[in-house]
Amino acid sequence: MSDAHPEIHERRILGTELLWSFGVGVLVAAILGMILFTALTMGVNPPSNVERIDPKTLHLAGEFSEENLGTTVGPDGRVTARVIATQFMFVPRCIAVPQRRLVTLRLSSPDVIHGILVTGTNVNTMVVPGYVAQVHTEFTRSADLLMPCHEYCGLGHSEMWATVQVLPNDQFKPGPDGRVSCAQR
Amino acid sequence: MRNAERLCLAHFWVAFAAFAGAAVLGVWQMWVRSPLGAQVGSPGHYFMSVTAHGVAMAYVLTTFFIMGFGYFVAVTALDRPLPGKVWAWAGFWLGVIGVVLAVLAIGRGEATVLFTFYPPLTASVWFYLGLVLVVAASWIWCVLMIVAMADWKRENPGQPAPLAMFATVANAVMWLWTTVGVAAELVFQVIPASLGLVQTIDVGLSRTLFSWTLHAIVYFWLLPAYTAFYTLAPRAAGGRLYSDTMGRLTFILFLVYSLPVGMHHLMMDPEHGNGLKFLQTLLTVFVTVPTLLTIFTITASFEIAGRLRGGRGAFGWIRTLPWHRPMVLATGLAFVMLGFGGFGGIVNNGYGMNAMVHNTSWVTAHFHLIFGGSVVIMYFAIAYEIWPRLTGREHLSPAPLRLQLWLWFIGMMVMTVPWHWLGLQGQWRRVANFNYADPIIAGWGPWVIVSLAGGVILLISAMLFVRNLAVLHRSPAPAVARPLYALAVHPPQRVPAALNGFGLWNILVLVLMVAAYGWPILQFVIDPSPGAIVHRTQWP
Amino acid sequence: MTEHRQQPISEPHVLDQPWRLWSSIAIGGILLLGILLGVVIIPVVQGRGAGLDAYTAICRALGILPGSPAQPQPSTQFPATPVSQVVWTADVLQILSNADPRRGYEKVQEVCVSCHGEKGDSVGPDFPHLAGQSGAAIYKQLYDYRTGSRTNPMMTDVAKALDEKAIADVAAYYAAQPKRNLNPRSLGESPPNIVQLVELGDPNRNIPPCAACHRAGAAGPIETPILSEQRTEYLVAQLKAYASGERRNDVYGRMRTIASQLTDAEINGLAAYYRAGFK
Repeated sequence: MSDAHPEIHERRILGTELLWSFGVGVLVAAILGMILFTALTMGVNPPSNVERIDPKTLHLAGEFSEENLGTTVGPDGRVTARVIATQFMFVPRCIAVPQRRLVTLRLSSPDVIHGILVTGTNVNTMVVPGYVAQVHTEFTRSADLLMPCHEYCGLGHSEMWATVQVLPNDQFKPGPDGRVSCAQR
Repeated sequence: MRNAERLCLAHFWVAFAAFAGAAVLGVWQMWVRSPLGAQVGSPGHYFMSVTAHGVAMAYVLTTFFIMGFGYFVAVTALDRPLPGKVWAWAGFWLGVIGVVLAVLAIGRGEATVLFTFYPPLTASVWFYLGLVLVVAASWIWCVLMIVAMADWKRENPGQPAPLAMFATVANAVMWLWTTVGVAAELVFQVIPASLGLVQTIDVGLSRTLFSWTLHAIVYFWLLPAYTAFYTLAPRAAGGRLYSDTMGRLTFILFLVYSLPVGMHHLMMDPEHGNGLKFLQTLLTVFVTVPTLLTIFTITASFEIAGRLRGGRGAFGWIRTLPWHRPMVLATGLAFVMLGFGGFGGIVNNGYGMNAMVHNTSWVTAHFHLIFGGSVVIMYFAIAYEIWPRLTGREHLSPAPLRLQLWLWFIGMMVMTVPWHWLGLQGQWRRVANFNYADPIIAGWGPWVIVSLAGGVILLISAMLFVRNLAVLHRSPAPAVARPLYALAVHPPQRVPAALNGFGLWNILVLVLMVAAYGWPILQFVIDPSPGAIVHRTQWP
Repeated sequence: MTEHRQQPISEPHVLDQPWRLWSSIAIGGILLLGILLGVVIIPVVQGRGAGLDAYTAICRALGILPGSPAQPQPSTQFPATPVSQVVWTADVLQILSNADPRRGYEKVQEVCVSCHGEKGDSVGPDFPHLAGQSGAAIYKQLYDYRTGSRTNPMMTDVAKALDEKAIADVAAYYAAQPKRNLNPRSLGESPPNIVQLVELGDPNRNIPPCAACHRAGAAGPIETPILSEQRTEYLVAQLKAYASGERRNDVYGRMRTIASQLTDAEINGLAAYYRAGFK
């Protein structure tokens, strides 16, 4: 193989590298700028809620006991959906949410790591035993959306999914206790 | 080669044997989860295969290849015998024992926890011990790399260390830093749980410790490919390395910025707030810098080679490059895959976009493309390049080598492009059987089959790779002596200690790790998460 | 023509100073920028939109307080009658692992043997076999009978007469009894749709494979019972009780949700499959 020596001055090499580095710097600044901009003006965040809870006593009492799960509209009008992820199902299996209103999803696990996404939305979070996973979102389209468990949780992981029913406002009617169930179809 | 050939070959054959086995498992997995294999494959077998495939590709292929290549570089770039060869062999056998223990545990069905281990799912202790032995073997390698370079510097005071060795030691230093996380998780949490010494495990802490390792480990895999870009490819192309300094800076930037960024693997996790998640996101953007610098420097190096061969005009030099040489071809194909894979990485880092793709097939596609694609194709090229030196024999023809590389590239693109698309549709990960009766999922079916076809092409390429190396051992042609390492356009005469060693950078890494991981880990000491009950894959 | 500027080559330590200085400044600066933006500026600005003061917003961003720095926290309401009082804490698991099968044997002679047999092979179709059953599973059912989470005219009184240690001892005793290890192929059929349900589940109905929990080493819920070799009538009765909601002591309705979707034919088929000794 030839070992011919190309004639390029060392300064020229440095100059081109610096020019390229400047371009890289602009790209880095642009990426960071976009992330910062969306964080400051639109409140775009990764899930941020560090709230510890004992997975071993979740079912006994408190927020995540069986009867308290599902969607409720609080006295202040806020919509909160509480869901348990367990081996190998979500409880409840169908979660009713309103269209175009802020919804807070709160999830926990009594056993192993699970995770959720809701297709076609920006809802995505891990569900880690020992913590309450919380995300805030607004569902823009009324549809029945798929909410699978997306993290390996054992041999039944492939069959673990729930439905998120996004209801238009005239169909999203809380009962006297504030609870909303999925419409039977 | 001063009798290190057998040592290198031993490591490489373990790596490539694991690779070949894992490739078969990979295709089986893709078939099972496609519409074609919808009634086949119990979850027990599927997830056992996923565990084996992951362990083989991510822990065995990589670690053993990198160790073998490192020993090769230490001997050839420094032109001196390997120090502590007895230790090197001891490390090799330790690693082999570890692999055997882990594989047996997986085969018995007692370790179906996937290669990322998901505590509180807890496998047989033999699985974890096996992997600990592999890591311990790699630590021996790290020490030997550091010692080899230190010895050379003592014998050559004031001289710049050869770039290939500098890169290898940067990788070794980074590996020592990054394995602390997974070692701590295994030793203090997972192995005690597996032995039954504790009944609960702090899952937030274990995920955080594992994330410490998770990003730099992929750069551990990547750096040998970049070592080839900087030190082997320019020579193979018939040119020179555009800038030696940039090479050193690249490896330093990887060392510094690949460590304090693991939390981007926990972006969607509940155990950390957005304060530290943002800091590690910002630091992650900086780890794109060395790759972007490399693209420029290597392209410029290739341009030199092309113009030396008569290329004219803005792009004419591309045509005149010796693409018939496997190392050159592999570099070109690797750069194409790096472009796509790198773009995917930037998407993953932006947490707004991450929310759309986390734990979907996009992630699977991303790391298959960037690691299985860009990095592993360079592993092939490195093997092809140095095998003649190791065996004393020459490839009879480069045509099967080129064919194998092209098949790998085509197979990887055909497999991963639909996967990216399906991930955007919401297809989620680690599923043994999809419900193809569901209309949304049914729509994914054809693309899953296309991916499967890509996987089959990859399997053919994998078998061809093993064949190409195996026949070389019996090739009648003796090895042709030729220079291996590239020269820089302006070879360095003197470099500052900062570009010739890692003292300064280790201090800065310490500062970065304290800032990035100090509070995230401290919070578990101050206020541990309530423990989750251990779920053992062995029935009590 | 190649031009190399002739200049004296500096010693490494002299060359080093600007590197040490500028790299420290660069990295320190990047760190400070990241911390300032991520821990201070972003949370404080977002917090304003959510009506949070700066201190609360920063604490939330660091995870010292729960909640997002960009949204107010929802209030929580709690009622509850838990379906099972069993809590798998480290203490409970310690009690189980320290249980004494010989003391359990004495209790069994007094209380259990007339229905469940001395070796765990029950005397009639209404009583489940207990030989080789999971200790944790037996423990949970006895405990649930004691607390009323599960009801049965005979078992409720029996369980109320036992204390926690006795329950653990009895569980350990029966768990240690050998199963008969039947030859399933000669005893039962394995129709493809039943095997499919056991091995693959039914993703369309959200039904995980039975084997995903009920097979040894599956790493499912701790209290999962072993079904292999169990009495057909008992299995059918329990599945139907879950399906109707009459039996409710499965945490979070795992079995109620599954059983309510099985057809009668599937229930009978599964019971026969496990009765034959398939695992």
